[in-house]
Amino acid sequence: MFFREAIARALREEMQHDERVLLLGQDVGSFGGSYKELVGLHRQFGSERVRNTPVAEAAMIGVGVGAAIAGLRPVVSITYMDFLMLGLDPLVNYAAKVRYKTAGQLHAPLVVKTTAGAKRQGVAHSQCIEAWLMGVPGLKVVAAGTPADAYGLLKAALREEGPVVFVDHKRLFPTAGDVPTGEHYTPIGRAAVRRRGSDVTIATHSYMTLIAVEAATRLAAEGISCEVVDLRSLLPLDLATVCDSAARTRALLTLEEGQPACGVGAELAFRAREQLDGLRIARVGALPAPVSSNPVLEAACIPDVERVMHAVRHLLIP
Amino acid sequence: MKPDAVELLRSMMLIRAFEAALMSRPDHGFQLLSAGEEAVAVGLCAALTADDQLLCSGRSIGPALARGLDPNLVMAELLGKSAGPCRGKAGRGHLSQPAAGFLGAHAVVGGNLSIAAGAALAMKLQRRPGIVACIFGDGACGAGALHETLNIAALWQLPLLLVCDNNQISVSTPRSEALAPQRLSDLAQPFGIPGATVDGMDVLAVRDAAQRFADRARSGSGPALLECVSWRFATHSTSTRDTRPAGEIEAIKARCPIKRLTAELEATGHLGRHACEQLQRDVDAAAAAALRFADAAPYPDVSEVLTDVY
Repeated sequence: MFFREAIARALREEMQHDERVLLLGQDVGSFGGSYKELVGLHRQFGSERVRNTPVAEAAMIGVGVGAAIAGLRPVVSITYMDFLMLGLDPLVNYAAKVRYKTAGQLHAPLVVKTTAGAKRQGVAHSQCIEAWLMGVPGLKVVAAGTPADAYGLLKAALREEGPVVFVDHKRLFPTAGDVPTGEHYTPIGRAAVRRRGSDVTIATHSYMTLIAVEAATRLAAEGISCEVVDLRSLLPLDLATVCDSAARTRALLTLEEGQPACGVGAELAFRAREQLDGLRIARVGALPAPVSSNPVLEAACIPDVERVMHAVRHLLIP
Repeated sequence: MKPDAVELLRSMMLIRAFEAALMSRPDHGFQLLSAGEEAVAVGLCAALTADDQLLCSGRSIGPALARGLDPNLVMAELLGKSAGPCRGKAGRGHLSQPAAGFLGAHAVVGGNLSIAAGAALAMKLQRRPGIVACIFGDGACGAGALHETLNIAALWQLPLLLVCDNNQISVSTPRSEALAPQRLSDLAQPFGIPGATVDGMDVLAVRDAAQRFADRARSGSGPALLECVSWRFATHSTSTRDTRPAGEIEAIKARCPIKRLTAELEATGHLGRHACEQLQRDVDAAAAAALRFADAAPYPDVSEVLTDVY
């Protein structure tokens, strides 16, 4: 099953289970989502529950939050994660805090689904800003790297009591993978080991999991054994799985497509080092520059297999 | 049974007395007072029913009391006591009691508008009988949030009553320096939403206009925008200095909505001097009791800093 189909399947099942689930966003209607990841939902559930919206991200997340506190379970689709910035006020100032500030009188079971990552679309359609959200108490943030997790994490997000940001990736939609035919939920806050290894732990998420696995495959030919951990959930972070692995390998490389400064890796490596004395750490992320649509400059900016291999070799120099 | 004019007067007087009691305390905290603007919330709430929900800005004391929240609980919340409806975590800026029809305050200017539209969408989709009303200041009218919300409310014909409490000043900036439209209710017009501007110091005018729009929303005819032109007596907040000349503030206080309604009721023989004095004693006693209640209540335990985060 393709990644994009796994998303549609998760939404279809949850909309069948629970009439409170509705989908709001730009081009979510008969168009079926910008990456065909919502195909068939409008036809099945109609325009009351699958609602095209104006180009107004701030209001759409606000409407989603308001509907959530009043008894619905909205999914708000923000086409590009870059545009999530327009909706951060209702997400961060309201949704993430409403349970706390009302002492549990209200909660906001909202899913914001948004698409990150570079695919030749330029400086304001390419960013991975999930790390920005990791310091917001009250939010959960998940990012699937496989079709099975896209399905399982989206379904789990729709059963949460509070707001969840579900981050997918432009380059993942056409990828294929096995998805169990039976219904399942991927627990939020649990990482997955994608490849076993003994020399270094590579902790990553989303599309970069594919890059990490390929780098690990090629490094194996050099005699370097990499364990690849797909974080899946960024808030909360599954520190236990990362530390179980790093305690064996004694070396942790973090890999992300976004900026490494104050990034996922910065947080993860710091916390792993707090638990594991002497752990060798390194991080790989985008260069400190905007991500251009220019093919040469885009490829130069974001991490690739070669950079990961180089960083691993460098980390393992005694 | 709609509250009659004497009840509206009592409600406005309670807000005034409550705030005076709060301000008598040196530990009153960071507050935004509703004094001078009582008629907006009281007039609006007279048009709401138990099925409805009210949201407001961070200037929440008037709206909360007008909506009928227990003054004891409100005072406890404002003073950070765990007997408040939000266990003291919300304070004035985020006070709420949804079970009492008060989805409540949100202290980001304009931040409550789209939230209110979402609550209205839920009511409409779940075919519940209520409507949603949202009070916001003139300061929110320059923000995109209002225009985005008006567009969506019109497109989806939401049961939403947007009420601009136009006190004509944003902290220190007069609306003439901040907002181009002469009449803020005109902002609804391009969206095909009915709008009206009323004297926000006249509680009966506010009530009548709010009733008309609330009935309309209740019958499925969609949203409306009501502008209430009001005057703020105090500074923007208890930590802000007032830059208005003293003479101007005195002139503003002469427009007091409480004095105005009292004079009307006395002139028409609906309220005698004795009854008016009794009303004042009643609200003063309620305010004093609220302070006693809040004082007797404990602060939240320090462990609550981590409860209800997720």
